[in-house]
Amino acid sequence: MPGEIHVRGVTKTFVGVHGDVRALDPIDLTIPEGQFLCIVGPSGCGKTTLLRIIAGLEQPTGGAVDFTIGHNGKPLRSVVFQEQGIFPWMNVLQNTAFGLKVRGIGRNEREAQARAYLDMLGLTPFADAYPRQLSGGMRQRVNIGRAFANDPAILLMDEPLASLDEQTKLLVQDDLLRVWEGSHKTVVYITHSLDEAIVLGDRVIVMTARPGKLKSVVDIDLPRPRNVLDMQSNAAFFDVRSRIWTALREEVLTLREREVVTDAV
Amino acid sequence: MQFRVPSVAPAPRASEPAKPFNIRKMTPLQRDRLMVVVSPLAVLIFWEFAARTNLVDRRILAPPTVIAATIWQLIQTGGLLNQAGTTLSRFAVGFVLGTIPGTLIGLAMGISPWTRSIVQPLVTAFYPLPRIALFPIILILVGLNETSNVIMISLGPLFTMIITTMAAVLNVEPIYKEVANSFGARPRDMYFDVMFPAALPVIMGGVKLSVGLALLNTVAVEFLVADNGIGHLIWNSWTTLSISQSVAGLVTAGILGSAIFTIAGAIEKRVVPWVPDQR
Repeated sequence: MPGEIHVRGVTKTFVGVHGDVRALDPIDLTIPEGQFLCIVGPSGCGKTTLLRIIAGLEQPTGGAVDFTIGHNGKPLRSVVFQEQGIFPWMNVLQNTAFGLKVRGIGRNEREAQARAYLDMLGLTPFADAYPRQLSGGMRQRVNIGRAFANDPAILLMDEPLASLDEQTKLLVQDDLLRVWEGSHKTVVYITHSLDEAIVLGDRVIVMTARPGKLKSVVDIDLPRPRNVLDMQSNAAFFDVRSRIWTALREEVLTLREREVVTDAV
Repeated sequence: MQFRVPSVAPAPRASEPAKPFNIRKMTPLQRDRLMVVVSPLAVLIFWEFAARTNLVDRRILAPPTVIAATIWQLIQTGGLLNQAGTTLSRFAVGFVLGTIPGTLIGLAMGISPWTRSIVQPLVTAFYPLPRIALFPIILILVGLNETSNVIMISLGPLFTMIITTMAAVLNVEPIYKEVANSFGARPRDMYFDVMFPAALPVIMGGVKLSVGLALLNTVAVEFLVADNGIGHLIWNSWTTLSISQSVAGLVTAGILGSAIFTIAGAIEKRVVPWVPDQR
């Protein structure tokens, strides 16, 4: 029986000196096993907070997240952080094998597993290099490799490609899809780029401006395996894109009006 | 910091036609290598000139050639190398005695808030004191012997390492801890694979500072109480008005210091190979 991630009535309020900030209004969400879910929303909408709650890095103020996804002694979830999350003191291979090392897997086995992902991501020639010797795109591939090599059931990614230039982003998206397709892993992917969400996701969720709520849910029925570069000229892609953009636009405008009002006061 | 024996002009390769060496088109590395020789040499030549022409009084500041001859003579008859060896081992013992406990205390303070609360007031009270002012108390407590000398030498590195190591641990990027936690790191992984290496570049900076402080204290202790070592030679020669001998001691101390700094730089490079060169 396929499992699910159940987000049940999750809320989050940050207690601050200048009063409390409601980051998330109750969120209910079911993510089926093996789905690539993308969450899009204006900045400050709480999408990162939601991801961190699913990752267990933060506690919800109300509600809970349950997992019915089996993981057979393997880790339940791993996080792909932003570029700075790579350890500068470890070489590419050691970085990639870090999760396995922490789980107590012997050196030969963990390096073999890590090397398999380095191979898929085109990083084999750089196995012994330190992160500072790599480009931003390569560093982010190491980040992705580290999470995949840990072999979790669920992968959580928080705008992993945000700092990359457009061309590099397309290449790394392609790498990510290649590694993910056929892995049956469940992915929750946060991004502020609508195009990225459509290119990568099975389903795109648009969140409202703060406090974050689910605004709309769109299934992306573009065929897989997908090629990121082909998508740029695919009619179905543009159709989906304009549907989601209409939903997102309202939110961005709401946010802007609110800022204008706040400025006036 | 690095001193390599410079090749003053890049050696032309056999296949290429030899390019004329253009001083304006040097790489920064070539420039550094060139200046390691040129700039001290310029000072020496000026000094020689000033002493020979009596711009400065030769009886006070003898020219470098005379100093060099004095050093040679001291090596042959005065046991200069033995004195240097004594200074070096005194420095080494004091340095290790201060650096290792200092690093350990600093790590404990960085990791454990309780330790930090308990030890911080003591460090704050002792750190700003001129440490040489503690020497009389150490002498009374420990006695006029080698132990009190090395304790005195160790104080500089001790406090420097406590403070830099603690700061290094406290300033580790939070994202590294978060990454480690998200992978389920146990405390052991957290300390050995994440916190310590993340703090190590700053700790190595403290080690280099400590080298300088330990050297300073070594010479100071030898001025004050020791009856051997380079510091003793410098001070003793001065009190007997053998100025050239005193300056010869000074030059020897300078050479020793440069050598130790070069070694420290090379060690740093091996210990934190992931840190880019900041030459």
